[in-house]
Amino acid sequence: MAAKAPAQTDLQRVFEQHPERRYIMFGGKGGLGKTTFSAATAYWLARQGKRVLVFSVDPQASLSDIFQQDIFGKGPVKIMENLWAQEIDADSHIKAYQDEIRKKILDMYGLDAVPEEIENYIQAASAEPAMEESAIFDAVVDIVVKSDYDYYIYDLVPLGHALYYLSMAKVYDEWINKITQLRQQMREYEQVSNVMKRKKTTEEDQILGELQDIKQRINASSRILTDKVKTAFFFVVVPEEMIILDTRKAAELFTKFDVPLAGYVVNRVLPEELAGQNVPEYLKKRLAMQKRYVGDIQKSLGKDVLAYVPEMERDVTGLPAIERLAAIMYGQ
Amino acid sequence: MSKEPSQEPTKPDGEEPKKKGLFGIFGTAKEVMYGMATHDMSRSALRTRASMEHLFILITMGDLLGVPILPPYYSLRLMPYVVPQISTWKRRMLRERDITDALG
Repeated sequence: MAAKAPAQTDLQRVFEQHPERRYIMFGGKGGLGKTTFSAATAYWLARQGKRVLVFSVDPQASLSDIFQQDIFGKGPVKIMENLWAQEIDADSHIKAYQDEIRKKILDMYGLDAVPEEIENYIQAASAEPAMEESAIFDAVVDIVVKSDYDYYIYDLVPLGHALYYLSMAKVYDEWINKITQLRQQMREYEQVSNVMKRKKTTEEDQILGELQDIKQRINASSRILTDKVKTAFFFVVVPEEMIILDTRKAAELFTKFDVPLAGYVVNRVLPEELAGQNVPEYLKKRLAMQKRYVGDIQKSLGKDVLAYVPEMERDVTGLPAIERLAAIMYGQ
Repeated sequence: MSKEPSQEPTKPDGEEPKKKGLFGIFGTAKEVMYGMATHDMSRSALRTRASMEHLFILITMGDLLGVPILPPYYSLRLMPYVVPQISTWKRRMLRERDITDALG
């Protein structure tokens, strides 16, 4: 396909008009090109001289595949000048976390071994289905609060999961608020008793300290996800009925969670010039269908669509292919 | 609970034991007043606090009793601090209850 790269694109303009948007996310249903767009965007920004980290919050991440390099669980791996990529290994993160808890128990009470009951709990808790997501969520907090890079590009999980990820922040926050309140009340009772007993000081509540720290971490993360100034969330769609419908629903839900939607990128658009050529009936039908849905998209989303990315003649893996895609999306 | 409050005047830190006379009487009177007036209140405040402590552990570590509680990731972080209380908590949560509990 002869996709000529334009000199300037709407996507590029959006990035240039909003240099304050440091957290870039591509969301959409599975398999539509989120990872591909994340990689291309990271590549383009790195080429502009920005320090960029693209990282995956998906337990089934595919950044390793697109960069053709094994980066799983290795921390930020340098791909090229100014560009780093990271895939979080949730399992080893959980293991390290468990060991940290065990060590703390042994240190605090001078034990040689963690009591069996407690050990069982630690292991059972780690087998919970929410554990993996929570671990990744927590790891992301560490990544983004360090602020080592100019741009953070989130290679997000498919829509349903992404919503879960967003709502998790809210659930956590409320949970923490509730138990922090309880903890504070407990402290008040203790203080009352101490005053009556004429004890001057009440011991510092370490649990309260931990709770406040956890709260801070969760807030740091959800603040970024919903930051209207620094965050840009792009939806990836393809011109197909079900995907358009699903994306519309998801967009409403995301708006409810206060995620700042920056625009849409339409992927897998068959080049129109094909229609004029001698193509088989099958392809003609697909072209006609696509025309209808692109029309729908234009009508309902209009100016919010920042790019129409053509269906490439081969899959996008490896830096040369990423470079070509970046040129199509962001211009030369 | 029949533990009596200690009637021995507990001296504030650093106070000389030989302080007798008016101050001694005053001190003893203060202790007696404490015993009569506020000891029960203070004990009840502590008891309420203990109940809340158990409620807290239930909310954070409910999985230990088979009550699934969200989210396990961060409750693990609190685990080290409640280790000593776990066994009393479990005993209290799982003990049999009858009508006399309500009267106590």
